Amino acid sequence: MSTLRLDIESSSGTLFGPRLGKVSLQRDAEGSTLEILTPGLITSTSRGVVPHLSRNNVNATAAICWVHVPFESFLEVSPPTPTLQPGAHPLHKYLGFRRDQHIVSTSLRDPSDDREMPANGNGFANAYCLRGVRKVTPADWRNWVVKMQPDIVTALTDVPFTAGPHSQKRMTKSLERSSAWLSDLLQPISDTGVDTRRQRSILVHMAGGVIPTARKAFSLSLLETLYGKEAEAVKPLATLDEGVSGYTFDLVPLHKALSPTAAPIRSTHPPTLAATMAALDPHVDLPTPEASAKLVPLLHASLSPLPQHKPRIAHSAASPHEMLLLIRDVGVDLFDAHWAQRAADIGVALDFTFPAPNGGADARADLGHNLYDTRYAHDFSPFADAFGTCETNNDDKDTARTTCPCIACSPPRLGTPLRHSTVDGPYPAHAPAPFTRAYAHHLLHTHEMSAHALLAAHNLAVLDAFFAGVRVVLAARPSAFAREVERFAEAYDGGLAVWAQARAAWAEVALARGKGRMAREKEKQEQDTLGTAVEL
Amino acid sequence: MQFEVLATCHTTRARVCRMTLGHGVTMLPTFMPVATQAAIKGLTPQQMEGLGVSLILNNTYHLNLRPGIKVLQEAGGAHKFQGWNHNLLTDSGGFQLVSLSKFTKITEEGALFASPFTGEPTMLTPEESMSIQHAIGADIIMQLDDVVSSLTTGSRVGEAMERSVRWLDRCIEFHRKSGRDEKQNLFAIVQGGLDPALRDRCLEEMIKRREGVAGYAIGGLSGGEEKDIFWRIIKQCAEKLPADRPRYSMGIGFAEDLLVCVALGVDMADCVFPTRTARFGVALTHNGPMNLRLGKYAKDFGPIDDTCPCPTCSDGTSRSILHHTITRETSAAHAVTLHNLTFQAQVMGRARDAIIAGTFPKYLRSFFAGYFSDSGYPEWCVNALRSVGVDLLEGDPAAKVVRGNGAKWEYSDAS
Repeated sequence: MSTLRLDIESSSGTLFGPRLGKVSLQRDAEGSTLEILTPGLITSTSRGVVPHLSRNNVNATAAICWVHVPFESFLEVSPPTPTLQPGAHPLHKYLGFRRDQHIVSTSLRDPSDDREMPANGNGFANAYCLRGVRKVTPADWRNWVVKMQPDIVTALTDVPFTAGPHSQKRMTKSLERSSAWLSDLLQPISDTGVDTRRQRSILVHMAGGVIPTARKAFSLSLLETLYGKEAEAVKPLATLDEGVSGYTFDLVPLHKALSPTAAPIRSTHPPTLAATMAALDPHVDLPTPEASAKLVPLLHASLSPLPQHKPRIAHSAASPHEMLLLIRDVGVDLFDAHWAQRAADIGVALDFTFPAPNGGADARADLGHNLYDTRYAHDFSPFADAFGTCETNNDDKDTARTTCPCIACSPPRLGTPLRHSTVDGPYPAHAPAPFTRAYAHHLLHTHEMSAHALLAAHNLAVLDAFFAGVRVVLAARPSAFAREVERFAEAYDGGLAVWAQARAAWAEVALARGKGRMAREKEKQEQDTLGTAVEL
Repeated sequence: MQFEVLATCHTTRARVCRMTLGHGVTMLPTFMPVATQAAIKGLTPQQMEGLGVSLILNNTYHLNLRPGIKVLQEAGGAHKFQGWNHNLLTDSGGFQLVSLSKFTKITEEGALFASPFTGEPTMLTPEESMSIQHAIGADIIMQLDDVVSSLTTGSRVGEAMERSVRWLDRCIEFHRKSGRDEKQNLFAIVQGGLDPALRDRCLEEMIKRREGVAGYAIGGLSGGEEKDIFWRIIKQCAEKLPADRPRYSMGIGFAEDLLVCVALGVDMADCVFPTRTARFGVALTHNGPMNLRLGKYAKDFGPIDDTCPCPTCSDGTSRSILHHTITRETSAAHAVTLHNLTFQAQVMGRARDAIIAGTFPKYLRSFFAGYFSDSGYPEWCVNALRSVGVDLLEGDPAAKVVRGNGAKWEYSDAS
């Protein structure tokens, strides 16, 4: 059995203040425990793999500890192939994650996907795969999860992805189904008779959309003492919440509902480019600061009745600014890194720290560099100014910077070089140098995949360091945290202007390489979920 | 360059050599992976080092366009620019002028082409090619040659061959005067199309210039010519080229082509094939290519090859997860690329071991039996190897032999 728990080291004493802690996953059978300091990050995956990172680069990226696997892409084959993987720990084995290094969680749907979907039914949730929409019943989900043995699983949830706004009746249904589907996952598996429900830790998505009373009602339903058939089904649990290890928040549908649904903003780009951008990257809605702020009372409504000691997890936060807001005002413990990983897709190298550096410039700094920009063509500095590299001399304590441990800034040796014949002499070992912006700029403009590998690993490392910085402040000067959040907002551009530039440049290069490629790419991107596919 | 022949095969013309260049030792025969635009597609130099690769190729034409010579000079050369501390070879840029540009016109001065950026007429002369390759700084550089398609016939073939000899003189002259000839090694490219007489003439002229030449490439092949002619030209050139210079067969990458060329006396080869085919889902194995897009691999939980030492196979990456991710996720392309480059290196590494051990003919027979026994031996391979004393059908005269190029392939059933 594996147990997910949160140890809160310090909190502000209020229900929703920032919390410093440690999430640990204890695997009894193996006698091992994996720990993630919180606030911290979860790595997103696409089709079961970390975008752009081969397994040896995943293993060389320390920031990758907890990986979240949306299951729906596997519905292309029936039964889904990960459920057929032989041997122990099938999901780890199938996807190549290491038991001693990686916590693997799964949910049916990709939390970053906001495409419109047909309505769910009482007995099934719809999921998306390349071969179309698939209906998944709670029993399917339970059976697959038992076979795959993820460390952590999110119960099916009924989030309407049909065109809004949704009626009150629809919302009531959503709550009923979500709690019924959670209840189903908490049941022992009947056909084997084995009580398997405690083999894994179960997360529940906080339903209720943008209606605070609905959100609160859902939480209260988790706490209701169960009677009769309902109690019998989940015996010995007295309430559903007893079987739940943590609470998740999918922010994408909330962002969508909270953003003003005005007419689409007229693009300033030429029509072909605008069309290309829309086709390549449909996920553009960045919530306004006002929309982000509106998340806070919604999350409060969900959490206020619930016990405080369980991890709070937010998926697809739109920026570090939003993450800080949710740490400060909600006490969220874990965030997925979708934002940082997506930045790597569009050629952005992150470059920011928390706390923000002192004595900032007049203008707000960008959170990263759009390496497509020609200003980087001759820039031989490493990806980030805020971090040192394997070559940085940190002897001067005043100017010492944290070393970025990523494969771009501190390239690692990847094992002993293979030898292919007995006559091969020793393979010379050289101290690797950090990769430069000029090189990444070149790779981006020539559509070389290596650019995204370097950026994906780098961006995860920068986000990891950001959370480490948050933890340092929460540990050493908790009273200064709120002030530091404000200083961060003043120091860095939360509007992500550099993102818009990078997206445009990314689409320009895609377009320039033409020859029917666009049609193929468009088709692929419409089908894929995360939008991480770049030209092979 | 230091070049030393360590062993020669007692039967075929294969040999094992040690080539020491500015960035270390490369053992020959070897296959050179292609990093066209200063990256092996999707991989980092550290991943290439993990594979034990010691010599890769960059394309001059591409690097001259992007990032451009100025950036490379500022970076301190292409090695530093791409973080590659091992040996590097650049081509002359001439081949891409012909294959990628519609408007190239060859004059005695050089190749006149339309700039892909401005459309303006631009001239690539032998001197200019040398100068660009000096800025790139590769350990081996290639002369600018007058390339014609291997399917071209008539007087143009002879003219191109003669001009390639004259351009070699200009490259040698420019290279020597630059003072770069200590660090960078100039290779000549033997031309002459499919005409043995023209090849002989070219060989004769270029061998005369051996003092200015560190090695020889055999060019103008791999352009769709009959395989039976291809191997005869390779054999003719390899036989005549001086033993104390490395021999490089350009654009060769299929395993059977590599081993035939090695048996005929070739030391080096390059091709985009193993890396390109990886991106489209084809894994190379000792039993033939495996198209991971085929439905039959969807539920196959074994690795591509459970004896393969590459990072992909040794980590147990299954055919099933590769089937699920190939052509969709870049990391699947990385995984199969790592595997295919390891396969190429293994084919050549085992050849080196076999030549040293005096078992190269046996290695040829066992490799071809594993690779082709079910689909049939390509007739041209049988003929080519017979010409150097190895009979692939020895002990199995009834074995299936197929005409044509005989390349083995697993066609996709993906719609």
